Amino acid sequence: MSANTLRRLIIFSLVVLWEVLPRTGLIPELFLPSLSSTLVAGWNEAGEYGHALVVTLYEVAVSMVFACGFGILAGAVVGSLSRARILIMPMISSLYAVPLVILYPVFTVWLGIGSESKIAFASIYGFLPTMLSTAAGIQTIDPQLLLAARSMGATLSQLLVRVIIPAAIPTVLSGLRVGGALVIVGVVVSEMLISSAGIGYLISRYRTILDSPHVFAGVLLVLAMTVAFSAALRWIEQKASIWQTGMRGGQTEGRNIRPGALQPAG
Amino acid sequence: MQPLANITPLKPASRAGAVEIRGVGQVFKTSTQDVTALEDVSMEVKPGRFVVLVGPSGCGKSTLLMMMAGLRQQTSGTVLINGAPIPKPDPNRVGVVFQEASLFPWLTAEENIEFPLTLRGTPKVERRAKAQDALKLVGLDGFGKRHPHELSGGMKQRVSIARGLVQDPPVLLMDEPFAALDEQTRMTMGDELLRIWAATGKTVVFVTHSLTEAVYLADEVVVMSARPGRIVDHLTVSLPRPRTYEMLSGDVFGSLRDRIWRHIRKSA
Repeated sequence: MSANTLRRLIIFSLVVLWEVLPRTGLIPELFLPSLSSTLVAGWNEAGEYGHALVVTLYEVAVSMVFACGFGILAGAVVGSLSRARILIMPMISSLYAVPLVILYPVFTVWLGIGSESKIAFASIYGFLPTMLSTAAGIQTIDPQLLLAARSMGATLSQLLVRVIIPAAIPTVLSGLRVGGALVIVGVVVSEMLISSAGIGYLISRYRTILDSPHVFAGVLLVLAMTVAFSAALRWIEQKASIWQTGMRGGQTEGRNIRPGALQPAG
Repeated sequence: MQPLANITPLKPASRAGAVEIRGVGQVFKTSTQDVTALEDVSMEVKPGRFVVLVGPSGCGKSTLLMMMAGLRQQTSGTVLINGAPIPKPDPNRVGVVFQEASLFPWLTAEENIEFPLTLRGTPKVERRAKAQDALKLVGLDGFGKRHPHELSGGMKQRVSIARGLVQDPPVLLMDEPFAALDEQTRMTMGDELLRIWAATGKTVVFVTHSLTEAVYLADEVVVMSARPGRIVDHLTVSLPRPRTYEMLSGDVFGSLRDRIWRHIRKSA
């Protein structure tokens, strides 16, 4: 049996178990509602979930632009200037180890409980890994490649466009994978903590009234979002590999353990 | 080997291909002390000659080569290529071949070879034609569409040589180009390089650690000592060309290699 078939089989049996275990009463419906009752619950409140999804997607999209844009920019600067690296890297690295979610209440004080505080929090949350990985990508470019390009008369801007950027793309993409996943985590978690809209808010609200099917309907939506994000990134990686054929790291990497899965979710 | 369209033998009259190094010194300043890497180095390479630089690690032979390439500036003295100083890299005068890893992995072989022309904005048709000629010259006709990871170590170095030659510079500098290759490939590539050199008439300055390689390839061998880097011997290899494998076990070959080895052992 090929790995592909086996993988599908595992997913299929998980889905079946999700339906069967609660139905037979082996797991109480309160802990795990069956897949069908979850889907029905979601369908009955489709309008509410749809509205929440729009809010969450908007927050994720804006945070993604901030996190990835500034993350790549800052990573490029820090990666190429050793002085900036010495000044900033120790701070960033220790900041990365702090569970940033403890700062979220402060954000709501500053920015209110609307989308702004979620966007600010998720942007910073996703910014750090993107920046660190871009900096690492630029820093680890083989100096021999730069020397060779210079020996052929490359100017500084030609070095950037024709050597540094293509050489850094694989590491930057893997940084985006981690950063993007953390943006989604950041938005949903902050919605669950203090907010008035979004999928995280719905999950949290239905949980307080012990309405498990509706909680799991929200969980399914978040799951769908991360799967869609992952697929989009794989598409970008494939596009990038057209001028990146030398290192097809992106495609196989997606199949292995996703770096995002290894990040602390708090 | 017939001369190819864009890689023509040199006209003998000009100073094209001449490398002159006069009283060159290089001092690296560190926070604690100044390290003299090169001290009063003088040598001359006549156009079309094959000269090999050997010496123990840290003798500054690569530094000297980087100066000829315009990638590094000397603290004192003069470096002249074609009779003129080289304050920055000039691919029209000097082509450089590095160790194996210097090909861009995201470009195909022909795109790698075209790279210096791309930097100069040469039209695509002309670039492609020159890259094809260069590929033919190094014996890689038909491999242009491959990426470096699809090529063997020897083939990669052929691509590097083609890239160094594509702008038809009179001087080709090679910094331990075959160091990462296995012994057999290394011997084959040596013969290939001599064939290409004979076909193009370039001046070649070649840095290596291998004494056998040095004597086998060179018209002249320049031996350097370490700390500070100085030239301790400059010998002419009188072996006839083409060089053959049998010469490796001959008396002339052996005595030249011994002479170089004695210098290196003394200074290492």
